[in-house]
Amino acid sequence: MAVLNFIINNILTQAAIIIGLIALLGLALQKKPAGQIVSGTMKTILGFMVLSAGSTVMQGALSYFGAIFNQGFGLNGLESVVASIEAINGQAMGELGLGAEIAISLAGIFIVNIILARITPFKYIFLTGQALLWESTLCVVFAWFCGLRGIPLILISSLVGGAFATLMPAIAQPIVRKITGSDDIALGHFCTIGYMFSALIAKLVGDDSKSCEDLKLPKSLEFLQDTYLSIMVVMIPFYLIVAAIAGPEASAEFAGDTNYMVYAFLQAMQFVVGLYVLLAGVRLLLAEIVPAFQGISQKLVPNAKPALDCPVLFPYAPNSVIMGFIFTTIGSLIGMFITGIPALGVPLVIPGVMSNFFAGGTAGIFANKVGGRRGVIVGCIAHGIFIMMLPAFLSPMLSQIGFQNITCTDVDTVVTAFFFMIFKGIGGIF
Amino acid sequence: MFLFGKKDKKEKKAEEVPVINQEELMKQAEEKVQQLEGTQGDARIELLNEAGSLYMQAGEYDEAIRYYEESFEMKKVMGKSYTDLMSLYNKKRQQAAEAKDDEKITYYFGKVQEMMQISKDMIRGKI
Repeated sequence: MAVLNFIINNILTQAAIIIGLIALLGLALQKKPAGQIVSGTMKTILGFMVLSAGSTVMQGALSYFGAIFNQGFGLNGLESVVASIEAINGQAMGELGLGAEIAISLAGIFIVNIILARITPFKYIFLTGQALLWESTLCVVFAWFCGLRGIPLILISSLVGGAFATLMPAIAQPIVRKITGSDDIALGHFCTIGYMFSALIAKLVGDDSKSCEDLKLPKSLEFLQDTYLSIMVVMIPFYLIVAAIAGPEASAEFAGDTNYMVYAFLQAMQFVVGLYVLLAGVRLLLAEIVPAFQGISQKLVPNAKPALDCPVLFPYAPNSVIMGFIFTTIGSLIGMFITGIPALGVPLVIPGVMSNFFAGGTAGIFANKVGGRRGVIVGCIAHGIFIMMLPAFLSPMLSQIGFQNITCTDVDTVVTAFFFMIFKGIGGIF
Repeated sequence: MFLFGKKDKKEKKAEEVPVINQEELMKQAEEKVQQLEGTQGDARIELLNEAGSLYMQAGEYDEAIRYYEESFEMKKVMGKSYTDLMSLYNKKRQQAAEAKDDEKITYYFGKVQEMMQISKDMIRGKI
């Protein structure tokens, strides 16, 4: 009995162990050899711990940025948040202590997705692991914010996340069908509402006979060759500008004897270091869990369409990806300035370059299909503003929950959060 | 979606192409394969793609994959060779799922994922 109590109280309360057990279950279900089960379980635990370490590093750089931003621009109460779904996941799993719930709900989302794909006409199996982890994070965080705990928290998170994983590919499918010219593949990327928004605007203003694909454009976006380098290129100027405006006194308590501009530069790098480590952790964490469920779900619903990550669409319209990225970035900068209007009562949102690339590029493909070049230009600028405003309006709730200086990126996860808030509001009435 | 309903109908009409005889397709494909001998460079890539496309239309997925893979190995480009190859891998993955063949599901889903990585790398100028 004492041993059992020890296990329950000291081992099963550790998120890292719970996550390892989920991986163990997935590997055992696939009938893997014992050695692989042990190594896979250990690697998953390691992944979780690496992720938490990355989150701590990132948090340090973000706290500094938040503090100097306050000193520089805080006179009218303006705050800043950096748009990073990775950082949201890191803080939720690490600092907020919801790691176990998020990992169990991730498995729950897979199960609900399988059930829905089997019994409803929406035959989509969501196969993008990282996107599901972000969705699971937002479901758990907001279910927790609504007051749910324990099993009800996991059940509701799995149900809502599973419903989103089944319905979002279904919503995008009419346009995906047009893009791919077939009905074999679906889109599994939680930015769907943004894509449909840009397609709607493009449809209203555009002309689909003048496609972006007829233009002569560079074949690739070479400055995005290295993910981390491109994030540095964006973050360093933000840190330097804010540090320069805030002045040396604002940085003094952080920087010590180091020059305040040099310190700002190093902190911007530190942000990238944190992200680098965090994403390495995410990869390790998902490397065993996701393939297990991917295999199981494909076998259980063999007639379902696989909902795949957004690069699956890039080869159908590469020019639209490039234009979509450029105009979404322009839109997100406009959006950033709009969030800076104090009367709105939201923090200034610093856009994320990689989400602009993936979400913006895909929005470009959608907009081009229904509205051609003009559709891409107008639709993607609107998309850029849209994907900044939604996370901005979510920010006050995120900071109430305990997230500091960060907000979400992928808009479907933001909509998930608002979905929970509606229920919280309705619950509050009674 | 209500916004796009009207257009779908139009497109469906356009898709109703006359059914081409499978034997005829195979014959054409084999001709392309014969022409491959001694052909190099871009001309070879073009022949490989044509053979791949014909085999795909004839429903000979393994053969189609074989020629498209060789073409893709020689030159990775965005376009029909990519999208057809992706679609072929997905068809094979689905067949494996229906047959509950774990090994093939893993193999072809791995290929689908590889193709997505290639897509990402191409648009970012890494390839």
